[in-house]
Formats: sequence, structure tokens, C-alpha cells
Amino acid sequence: MAEEKKKVEELSYKEASIELEGIIRSLESGELELEESLECYTRGVELLKSLRTRLADAEQKVSVLMADIDGADALVPAEAASDEDALRF
Amino acid sequence: MRVNGWNLTGTASAPSNADRGALSVSQAVDMAAGALDAIPQITVLGEVTGFRGPNARSGHCYFQIKDDSCAMDCIIWKGSYAKRTFDLRDGMQVHLTGQFNLYKAVGKMSFVARSFALAGEGLLRQQVAELAAKLQREGLMDDARKRRIPAFCSRVAVVTSLSGAVIDDVKRTLRRRNPLVELICVGSKVQGEGAPAELIEGLRRAASIDPAPDCILLVRGGGSFEDLMTFNDEALARAVAACPVPVVTGIGHEPDNSICDMVGDRRCSTPTAAAESVAPSMAELADVLEARSHRLCRALDATVLAGNAALDTASRRADRALGAHLARLRMALDAAASRPCLTRPDAVLEQRGADLDMTQDRLVAAGTRMQHRMRERLDVLASRFEGSTSGLAPLRHELALSASRLEHAGAAMTGRAASELAAQAGKLDALSPLKVLSRGYSIAYGEDGVATRAGAFAPGDALRVRMADGMVCGTVSQVESNEDRTEN
Repeated sequence: MAEEKKKVEELSYKEASIELEGIIRSLESGELELEESLECYTRGVELLKSLRTRLADAEQKVSVLMADIDGADALVPAEAASDEDALRF
Repeated sequence: MRVNGWNLTGTASAPSNADRGALSVSQAVDMAAGALDAIPQITVLGEVTGFRGPNARSGHCYFQIKDDSCAMDCIIWKGSYAKRTFDLRDGMQVHLTGQFNLYKAVGKMSFVARSFALAGEGLLRQQVAELAAKLQREGLMDDARKRRIPAFCSRVAVVTSLSGAVIDDVKRTLRRRNPLVELICVGSKVQGEGAPAELIEGLRRAASIDPAPDCILLVRGGGSFEDLMTFNDEALARAVAACPVPVVTGIGHEPDNSICDMVGDRRCSTPTAAAESVAPSMAELADVLEARSHRLCRALDATVLAGNAALDTASRRADRALGAHLARLRMALDAAASRPCLTRPDAVLEQRGADLDMTQDRLVAAGTRMQHRMRERLDVLASRFEGSTSGLAPLRHELALSASRLEHAGAAMTGRAASELAAQAGKLDALSPLKVLSRGYSIAYGEDGVATRAGAFAPGDALRVRMADGMVCGTVSQVESNEDRTEN
């Protein structure tokens, strides 16, 4: 646990998820000092909270890869899928 | 019996209508056969129907080919069928090359095919199958080549047509399933002329997005076999296999299967299924989070419980160890306290006293014994001593006698010698040169001792003269011999 931790908000969902799993595993291994356990637990709770929030607030991000005039590709933000569940035929 | 001109009895009389120019059946069949034989070898396109495989006994194949309005019997002899490159099946569109034949016994016309080949879609399918076999031989479809698609792809590129419903399906599916997945759409033609090249370029562009996507969805909606032929293109298949980013395919609908499906890293039956396969659903993620939440709490609880248990154990062990240690000390103390030196300190003195008494007794006894022995030895020595001195008295007497005799004999001996000596001394005295000297004579000494002649000297020589009472020393100043004097 020596390396400096990134702030939870700076982690992607996947990174946060992987870190949480790692924390739980090291806690489950039972090989940590009590102080480390508590530190891990605190961090785990933080991650958990952030992940839950992100799940609840998730918004789809869609972009389209467009070729510039000079041929270079650039990502252009595009609309997310429509909310309506009705199928269009 | 005749009814309406038909002979129903079967006992026909001899042909009586020959004169009307009628042909026998044989003649008619021969004519037809001749006409059929005149038709050269032809190739017929038709759909196989009623095919039941080679005849079990003869090995020949009997079936029909048809089109929308007509059908005809078809035969492939055993030898020709053995040279086939694929098995015939009902519904196949085939090109059959051969000639008509009439089986005269029943007057049945058949087309005898010497060779056959797939036509239309069948031909395409065969070509696809051959390409598939080729790529498989090259190992492009090996499971070992297939890359793992992350369970949760957070960045996904979709290569497909941007105008169709498919891209919307993919977007909607992922929005509903997992909005955390970032979608990047890469547009391309998916059918028709130039579609494979555009798709290849699309794959290349998608793979070079920075940061690279976790996977690429190569998808297309359902369509006819010909529509989906784009995805059986060899160059596209090779591009899929070589793509640096794992490729998930969802082309057409089940049971459509394309070469791209086979060489991709994961094959899904539809675009929607492909989209669903790249990320877990929100519900699953929520479940996972829930489970993790539980595990987190349990793990901490377990840590605390284990810590408590360890402390209890340690405490018990410490108690036990301390108790045992104290017990050992107590025993040692008891043992020390029960030693005689502490319980009866005077016992040591008593013991020493007793020892001393015993030593004293032994000393006294030893002294007494020694005294006895010495006395006994003294007695023996005394008696021996007495014995040894008994012979001394006569010897002493004899010694006294001898002493007196010796005394007399010695006196007698010296008396005579003394008188002789006195006489001789007188004589000697009379003769002594010293006597002469005392009368006024002297002795001259030169360098070489006594000089008896004046000639022994020369002027300047050392001269010593002995007198009765001493010596005179000098130097010769002159020598005068008696002869010189006489001469002069």
C-alpha cells in the first residue's frame, strides 16, 4: 500500500472496480495489519460509493470517427441512443 | 367382348391395322430414342429434388431436377458420382452436364448427367466453404489464435453502416445494458461493390483510435446470402484475423455464418448479441457491487474477529506460561528451603565436630602405634650396639702401648740425626762465602754473572759488587789488568 493512491473520482469505472476487488481480496486474505485493514476498508467503502453513484448516473457516451479534410481521423461527439424503448420498424 | 371399341378380354386378334400405317410401340420408342440421341451434350440448370443418395445396390443416383414449371428424371451413374466434389442435396441449384436417354422398357426419358456443379448461391456457398477450408488449414480459425475479449469493455468501436438500423440497435442495446460503455462508430458500406475494402479500412481506422478500443464490433443486419457475401471476402477475413484489436462479429441472424465470424475473436449470432457480449449489464454490475459490499464488510469483520481470537489465545498462553514459570520458581524455592543447611544450620557444625573427633582419635591412635614401633626398633638397635662395642677395650690398650713405643722410637731416631745435623751445620757455616765476604772480600758481577777476570769488563760496562751486607752498583771507568801493569 505504499504507492500514492489516485483520487477515486479520477479512476475510470473499471479501474475503480479492479481496485475494489483487489482491496477485498487482500482483506479476505487476512494477511494485512489491522491498521492496513482499516485503511483498505475505508478506501473500499469510498470506491463502492463512487461506483454505485456512477451506476445510477451513467450516461451513454457515443462518438463517431470522422475523417478530416486532410484525411486524419477525429472523434466527433454523437447522440446517445434514444430513451424510448419502442422498436422502430 | 368389345365395349366402345376397346378389347377388354386381352385376347387381341392379330394386328389387323398394320395396313393403316400404325407403328409398333418398339418402333415408336425407337423413333423417340433416336430423336433424343440427336440432341448433343447439354448443360441444364435446375434444383435437385427427390434425392435419396446413391442406390444401395447399384450405387447409381436417381432423382429429379426441376424449375418453376417443369421437372425431369435425372440419373448419375455410380462412376460419375464417384468423381463428385460435393454431395448432392435436395434444394441445390446445380449445373448438370450430360445427355438424354430413353429407357425403352418403360419408355421413360431421363437426363444422364456425366458431371455436375453448383450453380448460383450453391456455387457461392461452395466457394465460401472452400475459402473457409483454406483459411482453416492456415490456422486462422484456431482457437489458440482467438484473443480474450475483456468481460467489461469500456471503450468499444463499432464498424458498420451508420445509416442502417443496426447502429441504432447497438447503441440502444448498450445504452440499456450498460451506458458506461463508450461507443465509437466507424461508418462503412456493408454490402455491394467495394464494401470489403471499406470495411477493411474501417477496421484499420478503428484499431488506430487512441486510446485503442477494448474491442471492435464488426456487425451487420440480416440479409440474403448474397448480401452477406461481403463478409465472406478473403481480404476482409484476413484483415479481421490480423486486426490488432480483438474483433467481435455479429453478422446477419442465426444461423447465418460468415468467414469473418469464423476468423474473428468472438462470434455472436446478431449485432445485438454482439453488443450485449462486450459488457456486463447494469444489473449484473449492481449485483457485483452488492456482493463486494458484503465481502468487504465480512472481510473486515473477519479481520477483527481473527484479531480478537488471536488476542484471546495470546492472553491465555501468556497466563499459562506465566503460571508455569511461577510454579517452577516456587518449586525451586521450596527445594532450596528444604535443604538441611537452612532447616538445621547447626547440623553442619555438628558434622564437622564429629569429623574432627574422628580425625583426632585416628591421630592419637596413629601416634601411639608409631611410638611402639620406634621403641621396638630402638631396643633392637641398642642391643646390637652393645654387642658391637664389647671388643673395643683390648684394642684401646694395645693402642696405648703402641703410642708409647712410637714415642720412644721417634725420640731415639731424631736425637742422633740432630747431633749429626749440628755438626754439619758448623762445617757448612765455616765454608760459607758469606763468611769470606765478612772478612773483606767481595764478588764482582758483570753482564754475564760473576766476573773472575778484569778483562771481562770494558769501560762503560755496568758493574755490581756484592759485599757481605749488600750490593754496590756502578760503571766501569777504567780497566787495568795485572798484565798491563806489569808491562808498563
